[in-house]
Amino acid sequence: MEKYKFIEDLTSDVLFEAYGKDLKQLFENSAAALSSVVCDIEKVEKQKSFSVELHSESVEDLMINWLQEIIALVDIEEIFLSGFEISEIDEKHLKANLYGEPISPEKAGVVVKGVTYYKLKVEKTKDSLKATVSLDI
Amino acid sequence: MKEKIQKINDYEWLLPKGAREKMNVDAKIFANKNILDDIEDDAVQQLTNVACLPGVVEPVIGLPDMHFGYGLPMGAVSAFDSENGIISAGLCGFDINCGINSIRTNLNYDEVKEKLNELIPALFNAVPCGVGSKGKLRLNYDELNEVMTHGLNWAVENGYGTKKDIENTEEKGCMPDADTSKVSELAKKRGLPQLGTLGAGNHFLEIQKVSDIYDKEFAKKHGIVDKDQVMIMLHCGSRGLGHQIASDYLKIHEKAVRKYNIWIPDRQLACAPVNSPEGQDYYSAMKCAVNYSFTNRLVMTQWIRETFEKIFKKSWEDMDMHTVYAICHNIVKLEEIKGKKYYVHRKGATRAFPNLPVIVAGTMGTASYICKGTETALDKTFGSSCHGSGRAMSRNAALKKFRGEQVNEELKVKGIVGKASNWKSFAEEAPECYKDVEQVVDSVDKAGISPKVVRIQPMGVLKG
Repeated sequence: MEKYKFIEDLTSDVLFEAYGKDLKQLFENSAAALSSVVCDIEKVEKQKSFSVELHSESVEDLMINWLQEIIALVDIEEIFLSGFEISEIDEKHLKANLYGEPISPEKAGVVVKGVTYYKLKVEKTKDSLKATVSLDI
Repeated sequence: MKEKIQKINDYEWLLPKGAREKMNVDAKIFANKNILDDIEDDAVQQLTNVACLPGVVEPVIGLPDMHFGYGLPMGAVSAFDSENGIISAGLCGFDINCGINSIRTNLNYDEVKEKLNELIPALFNAVPCGVGSKGKLRLNYDELNEVMTHGLNWAVENGYGTKKDIENTEEKGCMPDADTSKVSELAKKRGLPQLGTLGAGNHFLEIQKVSDIYDKEFAKKHGIVDKDQVMIMLHCGSRGLGHQIASDYLKIHEKAVRKYNIWIPDRQLACAPVNSPEGQDYYSAMKCAVNYSFTNRLVMTQWIRETFEKIFKKSWEDMDMHTVYAICHNIVKLEEIKGKKYYVHRKGATRAFPNLPVIVAGTMGTASYICKGTETALDKTFGSSCHGSGRAMSRNAALKKFRGEQVNEELKVKGIVGKASNWKSFAEEAPECYKDVEQVVDSVDKAGISPKVVRIQPMGVLKG
């Protein structure tokens, strides 16, 4: 199954769709989509780990909080992330370990300023789950 | 939606309040016919969405750099009644006080061109660019609070810039009553390591030369006297601090919409009544990001001055490297216009008050302009004008169409020296991704909201 793809929708920003057979995979793939904008995710090694636990009021809010947590970690820890392992997840809560390496110009992409509510959706498709997320660049 | 647009004159177009259901006021677009024809239908639709918000004052404004965005178009201005309107974190956007500093020099094109291959890498070392570079300053919490509260006053006290810079900055470089207690711990954490960093995306540092002067008197007042005079332009914002404040309050405003029973046509237009705690807390926190951003740009301006000193072996004062003007793009301000107070939301737009400079950034391969605000702008656009040339092609499409190295080669042919932290950003920011700045500026010039003063061409460009 395709993990994620970028859609030509926003003129100055980025919109992606992520897919997964369950919430765990959907959220891991959404994180990978976001991180692939910030850095060269294929080349970023899993040298350091960070743990994250989040509570939200809905599955869409959980998605926004999850992706914003990753954006904030890049700034605070000065880290590029390439590994996302969710150990517990339901529609309002998740626990995860994130892996990456210190930022460097060689592996840099662009700054993601925020996760927007524009077209935000987490939905069931025929046999899987799909998230639609837009990012401010 | 565009079929509902009515012509007022060659540069003003009306979207009457019946264009969609629930519009409270008309919208207007300021653009020449060429620009209007290229504006996306969806962007026009988004303008009408803003016109549905409560307490919005007629008209909602679209500027010629307007393009489709998340929830609302970039290049838009909306004003809200200071008693019965709303304040919206979504309408201001994530990069609070993203803006531009224009700095002059008394150096001429030939003497800078000779040193450009030395200057550009030196600037690249002096100014941290891109998501992969670490900042050189590490603030502690007390210093960060001082920056957020006092803006450029902190900068000048700490050796970055002078009082002249303060004089030539919108809001004199500090919005009063910024309340750091309204800023989350997470936002502060993000702000600590990033003061004095450029960021990425469309942020840039450009070395330019004056190519045309249209209003000699106004230009002279701001120290611009010669064709071929070298100028500097710095475009960036409030970095992670501002992004986090925007994200935090977007969530708070999402809840406020339900709490105060406000109908909004798009979730990204989340907002709160102006006099609610959610509205005023955001305004106080937003000011912290505004002041941080002013300081961010002046800190980098000082490093640019020091780099010029090393290369040209003169003091920056001897090179007359003063701020021409520093303006904001994404901001909410309580402004008194023609005797009435409004919360003016500018998203990808510039203030254009009478006889104050307006800076319009082109692309890395095309001209930029300094224009002049007017009474007409106060009458027609809540004292606002365009901020840039406006994107015309998505980043994704740009990456498919251009290669960064090839874009850089094309700049070289034009005599422009480019440097980026990675080539991807050069591809995403290729000049062809933007509208024709000449048409955009023609629109605001002929509409009378900000006539042209000076045209500036790029010589060297740094991207994050």
